[in-house]
Amino acid sequence: MTSADADAALIERVKLGDVKAFEMLVVKYQRRIERLIGRMVRDVDLVPDIAQETFIRAYRAIPQFRGESAFYTWLYRIAVNTAKKALMELKRDPLITETARASRDDDDETSRVENELSDGETPDAVLASKQIAAAVNLAIEALSDELRQAITLREIEGLSYEEIAEMMDCPIGTVRSRIFRAREAIAQRLRPLLGTRLDERW
Amino acid sequence: MSSGSVTEAALLEQLSALADGEVDPADTAVACARWRDDGRVRASWHAYHLIGDVLRSEDLAIEPSRDVAFLAAVRDRLSKEAVVLAPVPKAERGFRDAGEARPNDAGARTGRRWPWVVSSAVAAGFVGVVGTFTLTRPSAPVPAEAQALASAGSPTLVASRTDTAPTAVAASTPAPARSLALDVSGVVRDPALDTYLAAHKQFAGSTALGVPSAFLRSATVRNYGR
Repeated sequence: MTSADADAALIERVKLGDVKAFEMLVVKYQRRIERLIGRMVRDVDLVPDIAQETFIRAYRAIPQFRGESAFYTWLYRIAVNTAKKALMELKRDPLITETARASRDDDDETSRVENELSDGETPDAVLASKQIAAAVNLAIEALSDELRQAITLREIEGLSYEEIAEMMDCPIGTVRSRIFRAREAIAQRLRPLLGTRLDERW
Repeated sequence: MSSGSVTEAALLEQLSALADGEVDPADTAVACARWRDDGRVRASWHAYHLIGDVLRSEDLAIEPSRDVAFLAAVRDRLSKEAVVLAPVPKAERGFRDAGEARPNDAGARTGRRWPWVVSSAVAAGFVGVVGTFTLTRPSAPVPAEAQALASAGSPTLVASRTDTAPTAVAASTPAPARSLALDVSGVVRDPALDTYLAAHKQFAGSTALGVPSAFLRSATVRNYGR
């Protein structure tokens, strides 16, 4: 987990009216937020909608975010409340969303149950996920010790550059460079999986 | 490289450091500007965070095309939102006296802690109510206006505020400001109303962090300086 103020610079940009900085935060946290909501809401079709709503609410409320907690903690609470609200609305009016309506098309109970039991992921998506995880792990193993240690201390242990510099007994600039080179090396291995045209799609 | 001296590698290294919150504000501005213009920067930013997520938890290894579609949808909705402009004025602590309460600050404070409860209200310029005051049928001399309102039966306005749970409960439509400028000590208490207040104070604390309940209302008081 990142340190509490890791997002402070981007949040300041958002508060200055820079919407792109908020998009960067969306890209950073969208997977975690979707997973969180996916654990609360069984209708997988609703998950992206609720996650989007979460980010929109966060955007509206960001002037009130004062950095007393980590941004993700704050976002997490918004996601939980947004999901709860969506579930309550769904109970009141089960046909409230297009996705809910779509999932009821074959409205016999069997297909409904199957729908709820599935985790909503197509075999292709599951395969893609496994390939990505495998590529990251392979890439990590292929790194030099220095790069692997730097990226591990940062991403898994959540240490700051200063702390890593102390542990690895090197200047902060070196830490920064090692983490960057580790990320680029892993990203190189991922690129074939991320799609040839991904730069354009982003 | 359109923005001059920074090479691509240096820019991406800066982006990598920004992902860890380890850059100064000027570099952040540069990175944000490049994010806008450069698909490679966007793809790298995504890749760096995806790598971090996967290292922490393999079930976050999500197909990137989903992430692209998600951002596109959020971006589309963001384009319909008003652009956020902070900084927010610093809220003073301890303005409990109703006479000093500034409605806009009260709204901002409420929103700061429970933005999901009141964010839309704040955005619309709603205000909260600060202070505890009760207004009931008077038997002692009170301003004529307040008396008239009380006898009309509608204005039972209750606002409660604690350190941890600023919550306003309006039992009816908010009364005009002048009728609210009553000193708490000068109010004649009605036992039935006190019971009502006690019951609703419980809700003020317990629902603040949860889903907005039926007991939670935004109350508007216009007592600007009167």
